[in-house]
Amino acid sequence: MTTLSAFTEDDLAAASAAAGEPNWLTDRRLAAAKRALDLAWPDSRKDEFWRSTPFQQRIDVDRELVRSGAGDPPRSFTDGLGLTLPTARIVDGVLTEVTVPEELAQRGVVVTDLSAAATDHRGLVEAHLGSLTTNDPEGTGGDADRTITANDAAWTAGVFIHVPAEVELDAPIVVRIHASESGAHLPRVLAVLGHHARASLYLEHTSTSDVDALVDQVVEVIAADAAKLDVASFQLWGNKVDHLALQKVQAHRDSEIRHVSVTIGGRTVRLLPETDLVGPGAQTRPLGVYFADEGQWFDLQPYVRHIAPNASSDVLFKGALQGNSRTVFRGNIFVHRDAVGTDTDENNKYLILTEGARADATPFLEIECADITAGHGSATGQIDALQLYYLTSRGIPRDQALRLIVTGFFREVFSDVELPGVQDAALERIEALVEAADLSSFQVNDASLQDLRDE
Amino acid sequence: MADLEIRDLHVEADDTPILRGVDLDLDKGRTIALMGPNGSGKSTLAYAIAGHPAYEVTGGTITWKGTELNELTPDERAQLGVFLAMQYPVEVPGVSLTNFLRTAVNAVRDEDVPVREFMQSLRSEMAELGVDDSFLQRSVNEGFSGGEKKRFEILQAALLRPELAVLDETDSGLDVDALRIVAEGVNRLSGPDLGVLIITHYTRILRYITADEVHVMFEGRIVASGGAELADELEEGGYERIRAEHGVSV
Ligand SMILES: Nc1ncnc2c1ncn2[C@@H]1O[C@H](COP(=O)(O)OP(=O)(O)OP(=O)(O)O)[C@@H](O)[C@H]1O
Ligand SMILES: [Mg+2]
Repeated sequence: MTTLSAFTEDDLAAASAAAGEPNWLTDRRLAAAKRALDLAWPDSRKDEFWRSTPFQQRIDVDRELVRSGAGDPPRSFTDGLGLTLPTARIVDGVLTEVTVPEELAQRGVVVTDLSAAATDHRGLVEAHLGSLTTNDPEGTGGDADRTITANDAAWTAGVFIHVPAEVELDAPIVVRIHASESGAHLPRVLAVLGHHARASLYLEHTSTSDVDALVDQVVEVIAADAAKLDVASFQLWGNKVDHLALQKVQAHRDSEIRHVSVTIGGRTVRLLPETDLVGPGAQTRPLGVYFADEGQWFDLQPYVRHIAPNASSDVLFKGALQGNSRTVFRGNIFVHRDAVGTDTDENNKYLILTEGARADATPFLEIECADITAGHGSATGQIDALQLYYLTSRGIPRDQALRLIVTGFFREVFSDVELPGVQDAALERIEALVEAADLSSFQVNDASLQDLRDE
Repeated sequence: MADLEIRDLHVEADDTPILRGVDLDLDKGRTIALMGPNGSGKSTLAYAIAGHPAYEVTGGTITWKGTELNELTPDERAQLGVFLAMQYPVEVPGVSLTNFLRTAVNAVRDEDVPVREFMQSLRSEMAELGVDDSFLQRSVNEGFSGGEKKRFEILQAALLRPELAVLDETDSGLDVDALRIVAEGVNRLSGPDLGVLIITHYTRILRYITADEVHVMFEGRIVASGGAELADELEEGGYERIRAEHGVSV
């Protein structure tokens, strides 16, 4: 039995051989295993970046690695888009299906098994796999975090994506990750976009409703010069799934990155959408919506590292909470001393819908360079009584008005997101959650009623 | 009995008495203008009719078509045909004008108006009021100029087809052309099935919309009533004469 907490080098070597991986990859896994086993699991009292999630209480690492491929994922929100999309499915720790439309294959687009790509696309995979997580000299990795290093060593199913230089894709590439078997799931994604390539990558995470699982995920994306990349990550887990996710993009000169996360399902979700702005003029826009309900704990940590000059970042996360739920937004911005002309802004706004929910927002700025523009803001709130009055005074019943206001609150995040299906899928799900909620328990803030005369 | 009957109405906001015994009758098919200095309680009366939660009725009654409005929620009042064009319309971020209007129209008519039919009437009303199509996707009142907000209030009235329209300073903040367009919009709605209560400080809107009666509010009471000539007198001479006659100090 191989567990996440106690895998051995023999286990990993055997699995690597069974997957037909080349020696260089097996060696890397074993090196990562050594590092992982030397590290302790995170300690939320000591580790700065783990303060926001109580690791010991919520994350059980004593779980067997799942490699059965048995489950059957539900309908995808992309099914309705009426397109044949390049798609990869990781089900219960196994890459069960890959589809690449012929037309895209002819343009050189690759979506394939990462283990096989280690041979077939060795140059790219060897250069980039782990470059954002480990101390690769060319990379920007180096987080000594066992949850990440464990994935470096033991990822069970991986997808490799390559969009060659100057290839522009209109349709998204969909990676579906589904859990139906209890245990530890370790999916891995590596995507490489050549210069002036354009693509969007949808990560759709689902599970059966009763599965009790830990998903420890690493996604690495390299966006070469002037590439345009959108990532949309949907966390739609059942309520016994804990999801630890590093989704990290390395952004080269003049590339444009956008990461949209939709966090709704899961018992614990600790999501790290990170961008390393390593090329001058690169831009990133980490966006997020989240809706937390009874028992859920969401720890959202967008991290932007301004390493090159004249790059920009603009973070916006909006959330709503009800029941006994907890969310933490921790927006980390690092500005290197050479990153002159940096332009950065981050905002977090959330609505506390019912009593008992708790949200924290901590912007965390580490700025070594004076010649920059930086802003941050956070706003907490409740549903505004005056808005509610305005809508109801037009005949809209209170419940319907509440639904309009809550979904409207989230819409700002999507104001310039034109990713097919993404906004609708996100807002429909949020609307359904509000629909199912006990609207009579929603807290409404009366403060605005008293401000009439100040207008 | 008048369609709208207000009797000895007392209203407080923030535990402060504002209306101290207002009586007013309005029948459908008629138009009343309500004037009065700043702070006299005109908006408070409008809000009390439309069920604003900050204004508490502490005495008296508001009866509309035989129904006591006091216990009704704002949406129930709207469904009975009551509409208030607000002095300060509220911004609702993220709720598109189209979605808002369609939801409101369906709620008030208690039926699901087909999208096509709805969009057709919306577009034609927008054209009449000179509201650009680009507003369809905008959030309710968000970033609208003062004048745009007022037009949008009248656009809502045009779609909701109320039987009682209270227009609280709909004329303020409008330039001459906009004033004419908005007034014509109100006139198009007018008829035997609509009662209009216009709250204003100026007679200029009354040049387009004929008021059957003019009432003047002072310190939470109606202290003078008359015909259109009363409005002219107020605009020329201010509130001095009424103040002296009624011994009210403002
Ligand atoms: N929410 C509130 N809480 C406390 N006092 C209020 C509130 N709203 C209004 N008032 C007070 O009640 C009085 C009447 O206000 P109201 O807005 O009804 O006047 P108005 O006649 O509409 O004035 P204007 O011509 O300036 O619009 C004022 O003194 C005002 O300050
Ligand atoms: Mg007023």
